[in-house]
Amino acid sequence: MWIPLLVLSALLSGALGAWAAVRAARDQPVIWRQLKAGAVVEGVLVLEAAVAVVMALGTSRPHDAPTFWGYLVTTLLILPVAAAWSFAERTRWSSVVLLVAALTVAFLQLRLWQVWQA
Amino acid sequence: MSSPTATGPGRVLVAVYGLLAVAASARSAVQIATDLAAAPLAYLLSAVAAVVYVVATVALARGRGAWRAVAWAAVSVELAGVLTVGTLSIVRSDLFADATVWSDYGQGYGYVPLVLPMLGMWWLRRTGSRTSPALDAAAG
Repeated sequence: MWIPLLVLSALLSGALGAWAAVRAARDQPVIWRQLKAGAVVEGVLVLEAAVAVVMALGTSRPHDAPTFWGYLVTTLLILPVAAAWSFAERTRWSSVVLLVAALTVAFLQLRLWQVWQA
Repeated sequence: MSSPTATGPGRVLVAVYGLLAVAASARSAVQIATDLAAAPLAYLLSAVAAVVYVVATVALARGRGAWRAVAWAAVSVELAGVLTVGTLSIVRSDLFADATVWSDYGQGYGYVPLVLPMLGMWWLRRTGSRTSPALDAAAG
C-alpha cells in the first residue's frame, strides 16, 4: 500500500506541475481549479503520511528515521504554503511558483522511498 | 500593496529561497541532533547556511526599507559562503568530515546554492532601480 501511494502522489503532483507549466507558458496565473486539484493531491499525501505512521508503529521502520519524518512533514507543508504564496500573485509567476512546489513534492516522494529503504 | 522584491519573478525567487531554507534547516537540525561529533565543522556550517537562507527568505519577502539592506547582506554572505566553502571542500577536503550545503559549490542541491545568490543580487539591483528611494521610505 505504501509504495503505490508514493507513486500516486508523485504522478498527481507531477500532473499538477505540468498543468502549472502549461499555464505559465501561456502567461496565465494560477486558478481556483488548480488549488482544488492541489487539495486532492494534499489529501493523498495526508493518507500517505497516515499509512507511514501506522507502519512505523508496527514492525517496519524507516531506515533513516529523522530524515524520513523531516521529508514527510515537509511534503505535507509545501502545497498549502505554495497555494497561499502563489495565489496572491495574479501573473504567470504564480504558475511558476506552483510548478516549483509540485515538482518538489514529486521529487520528495522519490527521496521518501529512498530514505525508507536505504 | 505587496513588496517590490516579492512580486513577479520575485515571487518565484522567494519561494525557492523558502524551499532551500526549509531543506537546509531541517537537514542541519537532524545532523546536529543526531551526530554533531561526527563532523562538527561541516554541520555547524550547514546550520549557519540555514540561518542565512531563512534571513534571505524573510528579507526578500518583505523587500522594503531596512529589509532591502538585510537582503543584500544575506545574499552576499551566501555567495561568499558557497564560493569559499565550495573551494575549500575541494582543495582542503580533509577539513570536512561530511558534506555541507555549500560543499562542491552546492552540488548536493543541484547547484541551487550557487545560482540563487546571483539571482538574488540581480533581482535586488533590478527592483532597486525601478522603485525610488523616496517611495521605499514612504512605504517602509
